[in-house]
Amino acid sequence: MQQRRELDQVYTNRKLLNGQLDTPKWWAPTVTILGIVVVLGLIVIAVMINKGLGMTGLARPVYWGLFITTFVFWVGISHAGIMISAILRLTQAEWRRPVTRAAELLTVFSLLTALVFPLIHAGRPWRIAYWIMPYDLARGIYPNIRSPLNMDPVAISTYLTGSTLFLYIALLPDLGNLRDRTTGWKNAMYTVLALGWRGNPRQWKMQTVGGILLSALMLPIFVSVHSIVSWDFAVASAVEGWHSTIFAPYFVIGAVHSGVSAVVTMMALMRWLWKWDDFIRPEHFDALARLLIVVSTGWLGFTFLELIFALYGQDAPEIALREMQMFQWPWNGLFILFFLTAYAIPVPMWLFKRVRTNIALMFWTSILVNIGMWLERFLIIVPGLARRTPFVYTWEAYRPSAVEWTIFIWSFAWVTFLMLLFSKFFPLVPLFEQKESQVFTTDVMIGRAKVPAIIREAD
Amino acid sequence: MSTQSILGLFQQPESAADAMDGLKEAGFELGTFDVLTGTPYPEGAFGEYVPQHRLFRFPAFGAIIGFTLSIFLTSVTQLAYPMVTGGKPILSIFAMLIIMYEMTMLAGVIATVIGIVFESRLPNMKPGIYDTRITEGWIGVVVTFDDDSKVADAESVLNKAGALEIKHAK
Amino acid sequence: MASEAVAHESEHHAPPPQVAADVIAQELIATTTGATGRFKAWAWILGILSIAGIVALIVKFIDQGDDSTKWGYVAAMVSFLLSLAGGAPMVAMAPVMAKANWVRPITRIASLFSFAGVATLIMLIPLVAILPPLVTEGARRRTVWFMAPDYSPHFWTTLGLVLLLVTGIMLFYSAALPDFASMRDHSTGWRQRLGKRLARGWVGTDAQWRTLRMRIGMFGTFYFFILVFVNFLISTDFGQSMVPGWRDAIFPMYHTVSGFQAGVAGVVIALYFSRKYMKLEKYVHMDAFWSLGRLLFALTLLWIYFFYSSFIVFWYGRSENDIATLDLLIKGPMMPVFIAAMLLIWFVPWWILIWNKVRRGTGAMVVGSFIILIGLLLDRIRTFVPAWSVPPDQIHEKWLKVIPDAYWPSIFDVLIMVGGISLVALIVMLMTRVIPVLSVWQVQEFNLLSKPIKYIRGHATLVAKPD
Repeated sequence: MQQRRELDQVYTNRKLLNGQLDTPKWWAPTVTILGIVVVLGLIVIAVMINKGLGMTGLARPVYWGLFITTFVFWVGISHAGIMISAILRLTQAEWRRPVTRAAELLTVFSLLTALVFPLIHAGRPWRIAYWIMPYDLARGIYPNIRSPLNMDPVAISTYLTGSTLFLYIALLPDLGNLRDRTTGWKNAMYTVLALGWRGNPRQWKMQTVGGILLSALMLPIFVSVHSIVSWDFAVASAVEGWHSTIFAPYFVIGAVHSGVSAVVTMMALMRWLWKWDDFIRPEHFDALARLLIVVSTGWLGFTFLELIFALYGQDAPEIALREMQMFQWPWNGLFILFFLTAYAIPVPMWLFKRVRTNIALMFWTSILVNIGMWLERFLIIVPGLARRTPFVYTWEAYRPSAVEWTIFIWSFAWVTFLMLLFSKFFPLVPLFEQKESQVFTTDVMIGRAKVPAIIREAD
Repeated sequence: MSTQSILGLFQQPESAADAMDGLKEAGFELGTFDVLTGTPYPEGAFGEYVPQHRLFRFPAFGAIIGFTLSIFLTSVTQLAYPMVTGGKPILSIFAMLIIMYEMTMLAGVIATVIGIVFESRLPNMKPGIYDTRITEGWIGVVVTFDDDSKVADAESVLNKAGALEIKHAK
Repeated sequence: MASEAVAHESEHHAPPPQVAADVIAQELIATTTGATGRFKAWAWILGILSIAGIVALIVKFIDQGDDSTKWGYVAAMVSFLLSLAGGAPMVAMAPVMAKANWVRPITRIASLFSFAGVATLIMLIPLVAILPPLVTEGARRRTVWFMAPDYSPHFWTTLGLVLLLVTGIMLFYSAALPDFASMRDHSTGWRQRLGKRLARGWVGTDAQWRTLRMRIGMFGTFYFFILVFVNFLISTDFGQSMVPGWRDAIFPMYHTVSGFQAGVAGVVIALYFSRKYMKLEKYVHMDAFWSLGRLLFALTLLWIYFFYSSFIVFWYGRSENDIATLDLLIKGPMMPVFIAAMLLIWFVPWWILIWNKVRRGTGAMVVGSFIILIGLLLDRIRTFVPAWSVPPDQIHEKWLKVIPDAYWPSIFDVLIMVGGISLVALIVMLMTRVIPVLSVWQVQEFNLLSKPIKYIRGHATLVAKPD
């Protein structure tokens, strides 16, 4: 249970607005370095678009490689935000409060990044205009809505729009706060963004009711997005290892596993970098780790089912694929690494409270999970295509090129860069949620024991 | 007759609630006085007037629009440019459903956000009398009148309740 | 929309009344005695129907024990009863894990359903005898038992179901110790003697409470894992593997989740009737219905999600076995049943439960729950009946070449189904004579931890969260 701590509002403002009101020393150099990496990555992308996809390792029969894996990876990370923010809002979990903003932010930026990958993977990204308005009507065709490749952009843009709006609505009270703390052009900016927020009961009521309503609407979208991404693969009955009915929930729960872990990583960094020890506390990591134990064990169950039912049909090609995936070098090495990092190392560690409340350990284990979950996507996507089948005479395994790896690294720098840029102007921990928890929690005496308690509105 | 408002500032929620009670007793109409806080309080904590809202209509309205548009997009485009792929019918309801679902939800979310902003009575670029200390934990009780004669009444109520400061604005 | 309250219904707003602990114990224990005439009449009717069902089961076994294609309805019944009686106790577990306060008074009624596992077990006995072995005439059918001995499904399913029954009863018993002690202290006659024997010297020391909590957590976790395991076995061995080419990885999860849905619906129904006829309004607050309603609402959505996830993959797949599977279970002779099931398990309850007003009342909630249970029964019928009607000589094929005609229930099948459901209801009803239908100590705990308070000028509830 959350230990109550008295924190007055002036202190809360000063501490949580330290990114905006007085920028930490490390900020400028870090952003500069990341900016350089981002620019370099963009140059590599530009060169690749100019020269063509021949610069990648993609070749017959492996047409989907690192880019698509990384796309699925970032879509997965994006599932942190709404999972944490919406589910915990709906269940009124008190420990959500410092976590929500960071989680929503991660959703928005990782989705933005995810979108880049199919775009550049298409080779000629300007032709994406065709998806919006078919310019080439002479051929008498229109984007085929029966194709999951068409459903993807629809789902992702819905999710991106929805979560950006959600983020903004929840930011309103804090924008009002920033407006009150700043002067000059910043004040003018926050005044416009805050839309004239004053904090009267009507506005607060809309924050709570609207927040819950939006959560309820965003949850089904969140589930649909990764399901649709999974159908990119699952509806293709010709590729072994893809045509499985479990893919949709399997991808969603895997996404939650990786997304919540990414939130843990981010929370640890926030606590260390902005010195928010009073707000992001060990008990929050404890709660997140407990959630992760449940989610990851559920995910393991789905992994098991996926595997069992792949073998269930006893079709020779499917069995050959699984054999390759698990027992042939280099896939077996990756498979072992995947299992160790995604489950076998972190989850048993989380069973101990000492680990759950140790922030450094939580940081490293959460990174392990994401290494594992990236590998999981790689092992789903590539081996199914790479297996030697009749009438395919390119027998060389897929090897991602330096260009692909550079763009892969760029994506991490890009998300971090956007995050830090955001932190310069907007608080990463919702101040009003923090203050609300001060109002809504208290201690009660039951006998001689002091027990933390929550005030629930009579709804 | 000019619209005028005053703002009393309190540090203790109890005093602010006293002020709200006092204003009610002094015969000020509901809706002419309001409480401003830097954090949400449980509903009715200040005995404040909580206006009814119609937020729940917005998503329904948005969803209907989105659903209609989605039917149009998915069916008309496929009928206008028919091409059979994968042996599926031109109007493949199960594939269309997915796009229809997303568009319905998208319109629902956008309408909800519009609803939240509208029902919060935002944007309001002339929000009226305010104090920046409200976001530092002070509680403001704001009274608005058309009638100048009541200013003194309101001021005395606020002072009696222990207002630390009173601000005026035309 | 799942959302906060807008309107101010008076009933929901009423703070839970604070009742003194000794009054709680006396009143709740008094509910076990003095059955009304109507209660007795219903018990007799259900008892007769249950016996008729069991007799029909025996007659059917003697008559048709050699023809597996006639046993689809019994298989559907095993699956349905497993869902209802197995899923309900999870209501006592899942929210407890999330430390929800509203669930405390109603965990007992949920765990009473564990005993109804007896009905599932009775249905399973003939079915295990009829289930074809893995290898017949030298050919091995596709199952999850790749290399395992021939009678693995028979053995493990039976063991799993027995374990589920035992763990469920242990879960019930470990949480019931303090109540048996209350009966020892406050009841009379055989109930007092039973309490004395089963309370096992419970006096409520600190150590006893600690052990109690530990046991509940332990049995709850076991129960969950065994439940998932049994769902997996029943859905694959008694469903999928009876049909050549039906390869649906999500089906065990679909079975589990829809089972949980049935469990919640069952708890709502039981709660409604016990609240109404045992006059428990003081203890079963609207808050519980409100929360169960949200859970049920979420589960109806989860049903359509799981269904669609599986359906769309078959629909796109278009391989022979994809087409045959769709034809057998959805598009073929079972189509009317499937459509009815989908409407009743998803669309209608979803549309009922979406309204805040409904979830804040009890009447429409209980109607919604009945609809879900009917829908679920139809859903089990549309999956298990066609699966069992596949002739055994086709079971080894790569995929189903001929879709069998719909098999209509015989009079015996109807009697068996009615009897099975009656037996569950009867067991839960009779258990309310043995132990208070609401857990005395948990109602007391609820009152201790949650209090209506005045917050400045408003009203709120203060909920303590000890850990």
